[in-house]
Amino acid sequence: MTRKHLKRFIAISMMTAVSTTAFPCVGYYTHNYYLFHVYNSNEFSNRMDEITLDNWKSYLGSDEDLYYFDADKIRDFANSKGDALMVSYVNNLERYLDCASKVISDAWDYPSKEDLAQRNRIINEVRTYAEGKLTSRLRSQHALLFMRCNMLQGKHAENVTFWEQTGVKLIESVYKDMMKNIYAGALLKTNHPDEAGRLFAEMGDWSSLMTQYYKKRSYQAIRQEYQHNANSAVLPFLLQDFVNNSQEAVDEDGYGKMFVRTITKLEAQQMILLAGEVVKEGKSRVPALWMSAKAWLEYMYGNRQQALTDIDEAVKMEGTDWMKNNARVLRFYISAAQQPINDQFDNYVAGELAWLKSMNDEDGFYWRANERIVHQVLVDKYAQNNRVETSLALLNIIDPHYEYVEALDTIDVKSVESYLGYFNRTLSSPLDRYLKNLLSTHNSDLPDTHTPELELYDLIGTKYMRLCQWPEAMEWLKKVPVSFYNNAGYAAYAANRSYKVEPWIKRQWLKDSIAYSGEPQHMTSNPKMDFVKEINSMEDRLKKLKGKNHQQACYDLAVMYAQANFTGDCWYLMRNGKSWADEVRVNEADLNAKAVRLLRSAAETTDPQLKERALFALSYIYLYPGEEWFTYNWGASGGQPRRTVKPETSQYKAFAALAEFEANNKNVSSYVSRCDEYIQFCKYFKK
Amino acid sequence: MKIFSNFAPDICTASMEKRWLVCMILLPFFLACSHQERMDDENAVYYWRTEWRLDSLERDFIEQYQIHKVYCRYFDVVTDEGATELKPIATIVFVDTVPQDLEIIPTVYITEACLHQSLTGLATKIVERVVKMNETNDVHNVKEIQIDCDYTLRSRQGYYEFLAEVREEARKHAMGLSTTIRLHQLSMPVPPVDYGVLMIYNTGDPQKYMERNPILDLRDVEPYLRYLGSYQLKLAAAYPVFSWQRVFYNMNLVHEVSADEILKVKAAVENERDELRHSILLYHLDHDNINRYDKKTFEAFYRH
Repeated sequence: MTRKHLKRFIAISMMTAVSTTAFPCVGYYTHNYYLFHVYNSNEFSNRMDEITLDNWKSYLGSDEDLYYFDADKIRDFANSKGDALMVSYVNNLERYLDCASKVISDAWDYPSKEDLAQRNRIINEVRTYAEGKLTSRLRSQHALLFMRCNMLQGKHAENVTFWEQTGVKLIESVYKDMMKNIYAGALLKTNHPDEAGRLFAEMGDWSSLMTQYYKKRSYQAIRQEYQHNANSAVLPFLLQDFVNNSQEAVDEDGYGKMFVRTITKLEAQQMILLAGEVVKEGKSRVPALWMSAKAWLEYMYGNRQQALTDIDEAVKMEGTDWMKNNARVLRFYISAAQQPINDQFDNYVAGELAWLKSMNDEDGFYWRANERIVHQVLVDKYAQNNRVETSLALLNIIDPHYEYVEALDTIDVKSVESYLGYFNRTLSSPLDRYLKNLLSTHNSDLPDTHTPELELYDLIGTKYMRLCQWPEAMEWLKKVPVSFYNNAGYAAYAANRSYKVEPWIKRQWLKDSIAYSGEPQHMTSNPKMDFVKEINSMEDRLKKLKGKNHQQACYDLAVMYAQANFTGDCWYLMRNGKSWADEVRVNEADLNAKAVRLLRSAAETTDPQLKERALFALSYIYLYPGEEWFTYNWGASGGQPRRTVKPETSQYKAFAALAEFEANNKNVSSYVSRCDEYIQFCKYFKK
Repeated sequence: MKIFSNFAPDICTASMEKRWLVCMILLPFFLACSHQERMDDENAVYYWRTEWRLDSLERDFIEQYQIHKVYCRYFDVVTDEGATELKPIATIVFVDTVPQDLEIIPTVYITEACLHQSLTGLATKIVERVVKMNETNDVHNVKEIQIDCDYTLRSRQGYYEFLAEVREEARKHAMGLSTTIRLHQLSMPVPPVDYGVLMIYNTGDPQKYMERNPILDLRDVEPYLRYLGSYQLKLAAAYPVFSWQRVFYNMNLVHEVSADEILKVKAAVENERDELRHSILLYHLDHDNINRYDKKTFEAFYRH
């Protein structure tokens, strides 16, 4: 037991690497995704890219999708067709794109003054070329190229004039959309922000909108925009941003967030009033947007009954598909949080979960909504209504690896046994039937070594082990084949450590190359079963022993308890992972306490060697984490740390008993005399 | 010096005489080496924005507090998403010209994640890019480069090797090299640079905002004071004048450090290491930061 070991223990925080039942060391999930989402967040630039690539594909007459502008391929094809105009367009577009990418990119090769002059010369040439082709067959493409060159050279006023006099008259096309986008940017640069904002919003250019409105996202700004134009295209963007920023303000997720505009409660209440007025005035063509914003703000600020009334109204109101679907999502959350559980509610939940799953979810909103509703509302609600199985199944469909596993690990063993039965009996609730059906599909992909049944058998057996109910543990563990343990995340530890080694005398460190290899192991018997059989038989034998034999057996049993404890080297017997933050949990026996009791019995022996071993074992700090015999204090003026002795701690008392024993012991064992922690203690103890 | 006490003149042999002579010659050299050359008295600022553009208040500030050195962030180096390649990002754009009487120290921030990738050739790339940025943007008054990185015990070795390469490359262009030193890095061996800038800010845990100001709190600095006296590298000191706004648990938190706290810390670090009163930097030059404190306070920050 050395300081080095102590430090190493503190530093240890291990994840089970490959087990499907891996735990996070210290995990914390909020699931607090934004629930107010009223437009497709597919970016304007992405859409433009897709369409232009489709246009090139169509020009090439190809069936293959294009993933980038392949100038060579297009040029070759145009040449083969004798399409000289297209060849010159592609050449000049390529020159422009090359310059533009250099301007915006952060390459290692920084441009020289000559490079910049050269770049400017090329842009001028391309611009002149494009201007000369504005009446050609490819006039839209060349008009766009002309505006792009202007943009790169900062000729924004020229772009405004060009669009208003020429661009706007061109036929509808993706090139015209892109020109309009450049025009919007030019308006912004030439001090016409309102018009620019509206155009960005109409085009779904959210990045540009966020840049433009970054410092103008407020109740005041939204009110002014509404008064200016009750159906302004900027309003959904501003309102979504406002509502989600309000969520940040009421969030309690433990993480400070940057770049979020602060919404005060007063401002949120002003927005609630405004949203109500907007709906009453009837000028907005999308009242569902305003009513659902009002409902969600009401809910977040605690006025939940009003929120329910509002959201019930919102789902019946007019709005875009996005707005209507968003209202439905919010209604699911708000009503699920408040309605009582009954058959009707189960039906509703099953229907809404299936609806969320069925939605086209390109930007992941419905998946996130599902996560949040299940985690924040349904899981606890069903658990509190004695529907633990439903609660676990809900967790399982959302997140089979972390919180589901953690929930299973912390509930009592009878609940897990009952959950196992969930899969084997006919279920009456439509929600349970829906969940069971979904899980059957999910579980069909799992490897044979880690089927859900085996996971549960092992877990139930382990839970009985944690309660020291060895016969019950054996009943379950015998159903688990050794292949399960050879493929567990902790397999390397199980295969290379022994629960019979006295941890206070020898620590069983594993090389990283072994511990983190992730390779399956080759144990030939179930390690948990082996332990359970042995400890069960030792406990039986202990009851029959007396005197020195009894004391020796106490010591041997204490070794097993100390090893199986979460601070022991054989922590894998009771846990799937190890962390410095571990502690005795509910539904678990305190194995360290048992070890200490047994060691105290052993220490009563008259055999000096056993007594010394037991006393030494009792001073092992991992039997009482946090009960070290001293603390370090840092002086206010810096300098070396000062050791403050704590005679009230368990380790101090144990070391004191050992020191008193050794004072009259002529044959002090080397494991005592060489223990640096004990040597340090003696210096202070004598003082 | 125990070696001298062993000499007895009556048994002094010829070889001993030679040793004595050698010792006498070398002694002043050793003494000179063991005493670090100290930093000059100077006022400086960090410039940590993506556009070089000074407004009148910022220009006045530079003039008023006789700031001749500006540690200007040129670009960051990060790992390419999903790849091992390192790339520059957020390169500063020189919108205004840089006053020629201002010494610019191009500063390059490297994320710690970069240190876990291959650094082969990176030193050359960085130095050459800096040199080219200076040429293109007419930044002529440059005598050194600074590298900023929150290296850890694990990445220290690789970082120091990388710094040695940067130093070599910088020398080819007649430039020196400095690096930032965070408080936790004081316990490590010193990096191979001409001097370090001790970053005396961002000392606390942002989660524990109720207990400590995460930007600066003397109590968070105290555990590191003991390393200051024996740290074998010339050091300048950088203090925070910025604020940090965030929303946390339904509260709008604005973190800024009181002048008193900065001055308390300044006194504490200078008490441990006198050298830190000579070269003083503020992080960072910005209109709002200038308005945060009054003239007397800035004079106190820059007091040598």
